[in-house]
Amino acid sequence: MAKGIRDKVAIIGMGCSRFGERWDCGPEELILEAFKEALADAGITRDEIEMAWLGLFYQEQSAGKSALPLSLSLRLNNIPVTRVENMCATGTEALRGAVYAVAAGACDIALAVGVEKLKDTGYAGLPERTKGTFDDLWLPNATAPGAFAQLASAYAAKHRVDMQDLKRAMAHISVKSHANGSLNPKAHLRRTITEEEALNAGMVAYPLGLMDCCGVSDGAACAIVTSVEKAREMGLKDMVTVKAMQLAPSNGFEMSNTGWDGSYLHTTRVAAQRAYAEAGVTDPRRQINMMEVHDCFSVTELVVMEDLGISPEGGAIKDVMDGVFDKDGAIPCQIDGGLKCFGHPIGASGLRMAYEMYLQLLGRAGDRQLKHPSLGLTHNLGGHPFRNVASVSVFGLHSA
Amino acid sequence: MAYGILSFGAYVPTLRIPRKAIAEAMAWASPALKGLAKGERAFANWDEDSITLAVEAARDCLRGVAERPDQIQLASTTLPFADRSNSGVVADALLCAERTTTEDLAGSRRAATSALVRLGHNPGPRSTLLLAADCRDARPASVQEMNYGHGAAALLVGQGEPIALIKGAASWHDDMVDQYRAADTDYDYVLEERWIREEGYNKLVPKAVAAALAEAGLDIGEIHRVVFPASSATAKGVAKAIRANPDLFIDPLLANCGDCGTAQPLLLLAHALETAVAGEKILVIGFGQGADALVLETTPRLAEVQSAHGPAAYIAQRRVCPAYTQFLSLRSRLEVDFGLRAERDNRTAQSAFYRRRKDITGMVGGRCTRCNTLQYPRSQVCVKCGEMETQQDESLSALQGRVKSYTEDWLAYTPLPPYIYGNVEFPDGANCMLEFTDFAPGEVKVGSSVRMVFRIKDFDPKRHFRRYFWKPAPLSGA
Repeated sequence: MAKGIRDKVAIIGMGCSRFGERWDCGPEELILEAFKEALADAGITRDEIEMAWLGLFYQEQSAGKSALPLSLSLRLNNIPVTRVENMCATGTEALRGAVYAVAAGACDIALAVGVEKLKDTGYAGLPERTKGTFDDLWLPNATAPGAFAQLASAYAAKHRVDMQDLKRAMAHISVKSHANGSLNPKAHLRRTITEEEALNAGMVAYPLGLMDCCGVSDGAACAIVTSVEKAREMGLKDMVTVKAMQLAPSNGFEMSNTGWDGSYLHTTRVAAQRAYAEAGVTDPRRQINMMEVHDCFSVTELVVMEDLGISPEGGAIKDVMDGVFDKDGAIPCQIDGGLKCFGHPIGASGLRMAYEMYLQLLGRAGDRQLKHPSLGLTHNLGGHPFRNVASVSVFGLHSA
Repeated sequence: MAYGILSFGAYVPTLRIPRKAIAEAMAWASPALKGLAKGERAFANWDEDSITLAVEAARDCLRGVAERPDQIQLASTTLPFADRSNSGVVADALLCAERTTTEDLAGSRRAATSALVRLGHNPGPRSTLLLAADCRDARPASVQEMNYGHGAAALLVGQGEPIALIKGAASWHDDMVDQYRAADTDYDYVLEERWIREEGYNKLVPKAVAAALAEAGLDIGEIHRVVFPASSATAKGVAKAIRANPDLFIDPLLANCGDCGTAQPLLLLAHALETAVAGEKILVIGFGQGADALVLETTPRLAEVQSAHGPAAYIAQRRVCPAYTQFLSLRSRLEVDFGLRAERDNRTAQSAFYRRRKDITGMVGGRCTRCNTLQYPRSQVCVKCGEMETQQDESLSALQGRVKSYTEDWLAYTPLPPYIYGNVEFPDGANCMLEFTDFAPGEVKVGSSVRMVFRIKDFDPKRHFRRYFWKPAPLSGA
């Protein structure tokens, strides 16, 4: 019986570019910015990397297909490079590839890079993409805010919540993330906002206003991983290890069957339960110290608190308003500013989240440092609530 | 069993523009428009055309009818395709069998009445669904822009229990160019009204009427109602010319709908049949490069079915367009900057469409024969029980749905923002994310009941193609 990857793989170096409208940078520059930091952090040379994974979503208008964008831009030594794409979980998938390779013993040191160049499309928001030839014939040409806005309409209806109360909790989430992001020099949006500003922002997709939506940014992040044994050999004592990495894609249940009411994220629930089992977490609300969840929209963060088993069902609004997820709350969420302030360069986001967990666990988060966190969770949700790919990962301190 | 008209139906789109709004916007160019600024006209939403209007009229006509027709005839001067069977699209939307004969009738505002004359003269064993739809656009500030409407009507003709019998029918051909539209142009060219009235209506209509009455063996004095697709002013002259009481001419629906071209005579007939009693003799007139006339007689069967059909419900269901510029834009008369999202390439993979054409045009999903779960789209593996290759074709187009979640999206491109879409639940487990239509902002709620309507899903302006699918619409009006 397989036991999973808990404490088999250590992260020995991480890097993250500054996120934002990087008119000055193409994907190669963004990759290098993150990579240089990770390499210095790990204290290794480029030639020690044996395998690599590249997370990149929009190859059409970003860096291109295949291993080449990474292999060429870093002039890697013809090592195996695999490009992965799993919608918004793409960055996390790159990391999972590297982690699994190390855990399998296929190599000692592996690299995971996530990058996305979104600001060469000529407009704000995510580029239009085709959904495949058959889907084009019948599926709505939905936008991400429109798809996620429906979580709010269904959640409010299910829990009989007044939309104004839900909107206020959503505003609290955005205000909190902006406050966190204002302390982070790598964040794209560094301005604090007020609840009033969030509530009065222009409507994007009912009931989501502009301040309920994350930014659109360019960015890259990367991780260098090795086995716990190898890390020990390299002289590391307190190290960050991967406790769990789980993935759950939709199988059609949400979209094609009436069993789903549209108010929650089914795949997140599945991935979370698997991740907790892999990580040995039995009481997430007490054991998890901090989280970076997929706050593409404020309502997503709210709903995810229940799907991760942190808040009781129907109880997320109360927890949000009680400040449980604020910087000084019991389980700070999006302590780096989240997608809200970093934007969502799709291939990079999962690794950007892991980067913050890594810094916090090692006590290197500067102005935003939390008090002695030992277990952090990251979550991605790729696609739309009605069909998506969810990932839940747990990272923690490991004493060798 | 007898041969005759077995059922009737009609459809008028929801959108209305007050004629005053047109006059206010365009009187600077044509002050005479102010004199026409009475009432409102119906017009097709951006996702409606003569095919979709005809489908709705057909559904209205076939409500309560057990059998699908053997043949479909679609009459229109505004068929969206010059080469692709328009009636074939209608047949698939109506889930008609492949052996159904489909025929497009065009080239004249009399296309529908002439077809009805032919059906009257050639009774056969096969049932015919005769559809008429028109969606004529007009040059801004023209009289036609004020007077035209968009709509459709349907008659089911064949052997069975008729609601009306065709007692007499006649066509009179005369190449009087009162108005015309060249094949490669957008707009009608219309000649002087007085000339058309005096030389056209007053002289040509009586010839067709006389022939039809003679065939029916009736005198004009025995007619109870006259269906005449023109204004009351024109009707007065024709009444005099055929020696009929002008009060027998029914309301031409110009004040609240407009002149729907090829569809107008059948639309007015459907309107008459909504209130006719058994034994009524109805004279139906079609006009345009000649005239058609039909004498119908209603039967007692009409009373059993008439409440379920006709245009009244659609005329009552209206959504007023707030601005003339919006009307122009929805009719593609004004090029609005909808931003880069509107640049999306909507090329259709025709081979993929062909494989799944029934799924798309008929909204055919699958019902699992093992667990009875209905699902859309149909798939190889049941979404509920996981069994493979168990699904049988079943359409969701006639089902009523319930909104589970929705949004009004101001970011996504649509010709009529906001883009409203959401998750809709159907009976027996089916659940589907769908684009909505005909809802105003603020109108959809979680729990709203919806009915499915056949509409244009996307345009491909680059390749002059349009594709169709089904959308949830407000339940009222059905």
